[in-house]
Amino acid sequence: MRKIVMPGDLIAKNPRAAGYGTYVEKGKVYAKFLGLLDKTDTSVRVIPLKGRYIPSSGDVVIGIVREVTANGWIVDVYSPYQAFLPVLEYPENAMRNKKVNELLDIGDAIIGKVLSIDPKMKVTLTMKDKVCKPVRVGRIVAINPARVPRVIGKKGSMIKMLKSELGIQIVVGQNGLIWINGDRRKVSIAEEAIYIIEEEAHTEGLTDRITEFIKKKKGELENAET
Amino acid sequence: MQKPKLIVDGKRLDGRGFEELRPIKIEAGVLKRADGSCYLEMGKNKIIAAVYGPREVHPRHLQDPSKAVIRYRYNMAPFSVEERKKPGPDRRSVEISKVSREALEPVIMKELFPRSGIDVFVEVLQADAGTRTACLNAASVALIDAGVAMRGMVTSVAVAKVEGNIVLDPMKEEDNYGDADVPIAFLIRNDRIESIALLQMDGRLTLEEMKKAMELAKKGAMQIYRLQREAIMKKYMKEETEEPEEENEQ
Amino acid sequence: MAEDILMDIKRDYVLSRIRSGERIDGRRFDEFRQISVQTGVIEKAEGSALVKLGNTQVIVGIKMQVGEPFPDTPEKGIIITNSELVPLASPTFEPGPPDENSVELARVVDRGIRESEAVNLEELCIEEGEKVWVIFIDIHALDDDGNLMDASAIAAISALMNTTVPAEKFEVGEDFRLPVRDIPISVTSLIVDDYSLVDPCRDEMSVGNNLITITSDKNGNIVAMQKSGSYLLSEEKFYEVLELSVAKAEEVRKQVVSQINQGDKDGENEES
Repeated sequence: MRKIVMPGDLIAKNPRAAGYGTYVEKGKVYAKFLGLLDKTDTSVRVIPLKGRYIPSSGDVVIGIVREVTANGWIVDVYSPYQAFLPVLEYPENAMRNKKVNELLDIGDAIIGKVLSIDPKMKVTLTMKDKVCKPVRVGRIVAINPARVPRVIGKKGSMIKMLKSELGIQIVVGQNGLIWINGDRRKVSIAEEAIYIIEEEAHTEGLTDRITEFIKKKKGELENAET
Repeated sequence: MQKPKLIVDGKRLDGRGFEELRPIKIEAGVLKRADGSCYLEMGKNKIIAAVYGPREVHPRHLQDPSKAVIRYRYNMAPFSVEERKKPGPDRRSVEISKVSREALEPVIMKELFPRSGIDVFVEVLQADAGTRTACLNAASVALIDAGVAMRGMVTSVAVAKVEGNIVLDPMKEEDNYGDADVPIAFLIRNDRIESIALLQMDGRLTLEEMKKAMELAKKGAMQIYRLQREAIMKKYMKEETEEPEEENEQ
Repeated sequence: MAEDILMDIKRDYVLSRIRSGERIDGRRFDEFRQISVQTGVIEKAEGSALVKLGNTQVIVGIKMQVGEPFPDTPEKGIIITNSELVPLASPTFEPGPPDENSVELARVVDRGIRESEAVNLEELCIEEGEKVWVIFIDIHALDDDGNLMDASAIAAISALMNTTVPAEKFEVGEDFRLPVRDIPISVTSLIVDDYSLVDPCRDEMSVGNNLITITSDKNGNIVAMQKSGSYLLSEEKFYEVLELSVAKAEEVRKQVVSQINQGDKDGENEES
């Protein structure tokens, strides 16, 4: 069982071990927010249990276009900070002399990647990555961003299982938005499974239980068809 | 109005000893829409606190390019007191909001969230002396529940002078007829009182009495601090009972 | 704003001087600026005082009316304190309803007067449960060169000491001197690192608004305190400031009394 720590809890005395979710004062390492303690001999970090998504370079995110400007789009990534996607970061092969709002318009959803963040938290996105694309089909579901690692699973195990068992596409945004595409009924099963993962969190054998859940649902689906 | 006798046979009107808190009940995460929340009872005080953020600040000129802007709104419900309170902020609420915000500002790691805002809304549903301290305790739990980065916990309690005695956590009668009221809040980190985050006083105290009041407040605050922690633990223990099996990799 | 830039530029200078143990205007850390008190400056008011604390200037006017007592104190007069930080007093003050700083200023001044029981409110009862005197203390900032708090508190008590209750005007007897029996004095300190500076001037405030105000009565009792500003105060510092403030208040009280007496004497001389 991992220990729950709160802001200000002393979690290590070696400042060199201080990792994510910690702060150092007078050589001591304290927890910065509510979370689970992950401590080894050489490192200490706090895995958040709650909190808004704060963009970080390289994150895959799903966002909604809120404004179209002359040289790009303002994208809501469900964070305190809106992101900007410059036209120059849109995949060139898809541009074909189209106007900015013909490429993406207000209300359109995209899968993007965080390209950079300046010290004032101006966030720039790119779509020049194979995972990135405008989202025109499928479904987007939202979960607490702090629970994203659970949906992904250890080395991506949970997500791999969902994809292969259901034969659908899934992209998990670090900002807690998840895109699912495929057979409508299977997408619904995936959505339900994701909510279970979000709720049941760090329970033993979660992957097994989710696998079982999906098999059961798939069975029900096949029975209904026959 | 005749001033009632507040101490009888070394006990207070509600049977408490001088160094005893009123019963406290704290529950974390009671609101769905808020990022963090807390319900708190301290004697007859009933308080609900909500935290939103960090989130975008509108209008834009209110943003601070180097840190998050903290807003704190202390508000009393019209039905929270004997005589209906006119809705909206009065001068007392404005002052309480200011000093409470100032108690939290140095504890929240504002610099991590430039241009954003963190809103703390505290509603007094029923008031029974010491509302500002009860509200700060609830706000602090709600902030932690929201996952906001902080240096530690803010815990607050009042101390009063009643018929020559320094007493902890005054109730209504002691507040009305006592000789001094000292609301204090501390930054508590790792079970240790680090510093003073809020300090007000009205009434009349000698230097010696003031020092005694401070010592008593520290004692009381440590008890409340443990209850604040318990409330948060209680909410998350349910969810986080077992070893996690996932890692942050895709 | 240009004002902000000036403050930014001043900050480093002020800090470096403080850290080498000096204040920019050459004062000791526990030294007030020069205090000047002039009472009776507004004839239309029942009492008034103009106080200068260095370049900071505040005027307080007292108006009195006959009103109904509060139900829980039917035999006592009423004090109502207000403050207006008018835009004339500082480039950072905006017109409009009182903001939180203005509200805080009025309430902390009010607390000092109320809790020291400086005004004998029992003597302001005209008819128990029906008619009492209502004292309006209006704080009007004229020039904010720092520490409006202490300047306002001095001006308020000085104005009260200068007040004549206008009983004849309201046809409830003969005019009489407002019964004032204590002189609460507030001492505000600016906390910078491990230092504390009493009576900070505006330029010193460029390093931050980390203030603490401690008001004490003539017997050295503490009657009001207010930590103001987003900072954490160590317990040791608090005790240090607490004791210093009570001692300082005694000095300031003497000065205020001597200034008021001097003014009264001058007034008599003029009349004769």
